[in-house]
Amino acid sequence: MNDPYSVLGVSRTASDEEIKKAYRDLARKYHPDNYTDNPLADLAQEKMKQVNEAYDSITRERSAYGGGTQAQYGGYSAGNDGYSGRSGYSAGPYYDARAAINASDLNRAEMILGSITERGAEWYFLMGSLNFRRGWMDEAQQYYQRAVAMDPSNPEYRQALNYVNSSAARPYRSTEASSVDPCRICGSLMVADCCCEMLGGDLCRCC
Amino acid sequence: MYGYVRPSSDELKIREFESFRAVYCGLCHTLRRRGGIAARFTVNFDMTFLAMLLSAGEEQRCSRRCPRHPLRKRGCALGGRALDAAADCSVILAWWKLEDDLADGGFGKRLIARLARVLLHRGYRRCAAARPSFDSGAAAAMERLRELEKSECESLDEAADCFAGMLAAIPDLLSEDERKRVLRQLLYHLGRSVYILDAADDFEKDIAEGSYNPLRYRFGAQLTAENRETLQRTLNLSQRNMVTAFQLLPENDYSGILENTLTIGLPQMSRVVLSGDWKNRRKILREHVRRLRGDTV
Repeated sequence: MNDPYSVLGVSRTASDEEIKKAYRDLARKYHPDNYTDNPLADLAQEKMKQVNEAYDSITRERSAYGGGTQAQYGGYSAGNDGYSGRSGYSAGPYYDARAAINASDLNRAEMILGSITERGAEWYFLMGSLNFRRGWMDEAQQYYQRAVAMDPSNPEYRQALNYVNSSAARPYRSTEASSVDPCRICGSLMVADCCCEMLGGDLCRCC
Repeated sequence: MYGYVRPSSDELKIREFESFRAVYCGLCHTLRRRGGIAARFTVNFDMTFLAMLLSAGEEQRCSRRCPRHPLRKRGCALGGRALDAAADCSVILAWWKLEDDLADGGFGKRLIARLARVLLHRGYRRCAAARPSFDSGAAAAMERLRELEKSECESLDEAADCFAGMLAAIPDLLSEDERKRVLRQLLYHLGRSVYILDAADDFEKDIAEGSYNPLRYRFGAQLTAENRETLQRTLNLSQRNMVTAFQLLPENDYSGILENTLTIGLPQMSRVVLSGDWKNRRKILREHVRRLRGDTV
């Protein structure tokens, strides 16, 4: 295993605060939200795992002398494995298309979707997803818009369109120190709290 | 097509600025070695960015004189596969750009293209022989683009894919595997961004001359403010993909410059181009180029 201090990019003599900050910065960088529908998501997941392991290793070592906290960013729960966790998708060719998209087999997904003649909202949504992963952002956005227009009540389609719209709103910087978003922090803490509670602990007493 | 991918020099550390200039000079020397004298004229910031991106830090610092700066030796970064690959790609891409100008340009453009092709031909032959798959990929991409032109394709992404795919094939020129996936994604979106910016920049001129421009079939004969906003947004999406990919690369000496280019330089450039100010600011930016190259006179 790599030296945990070099994984976090800190020196061995760094204070607990510095370590925590380094961990938070890296977790913000490799957070799964940044890699939604991204072909490199698995690499980011690997990186996140390394960062978590490094942080845990350092805090374990230091907690032998008292203090330190657990890695908070559980990161990749099952719900992030493509579309498997979401409700309401139909069986048949659409199921196959989703599986192909999840497996990054975009050519196969395109073939399946191309063979479908009755094109409802789900077809447009899956075309959007396929194009997004391929890097055809303009097409993806148009497909998502059409899917939401055809089926405004579907949360999955709306979520995808919202993600595209919010990502498109401004250029992206990896450590956006100035744009510390309170919603993001609160949201992340709530997720971390849920994960912690599932494991028997309690991160935030208030929820 | 060139000049959009550059760091914001205001935000660079002095060490990074010097490094950038050294790679630029190094690229120029490498072009001379691999492609002959005419190849030197294909040096640009975009290919400098490419060299730094592909680099694994193997370049050596040297001091060289050159025809542009005959009086004083200047530090440059030389050696390594990254510079060789960037030089070859620079010549091959320049060649196919000339071919495209020849097929689709106005009278003046075609004349210059004909002249330039004669001068670049030998260098192109050498570089294409060194990178046959990249060269044939570039030829195929240009052919595909021509077909899309004829069919008046309304998909901006499909047209951009031709050029983006060309750049995404560059990591295959490196032997090591680890970074390839990430580099492919990064270069794909870089190519896509450059293609779209170029189309936006040349839109009015292309409409006037009757040349192909993918935005014409996507949006119409005029670009409204809403259209420009759509373009800005789609560029932001590609930029995000580039930065998230870049984050997965191991850090090296050039990381600061590369990050600057992707998070500050390129977005700045997109804003300037899409607002139409790029044409007006050419004079100021010429000064900027001189500063980046380190020309003191």
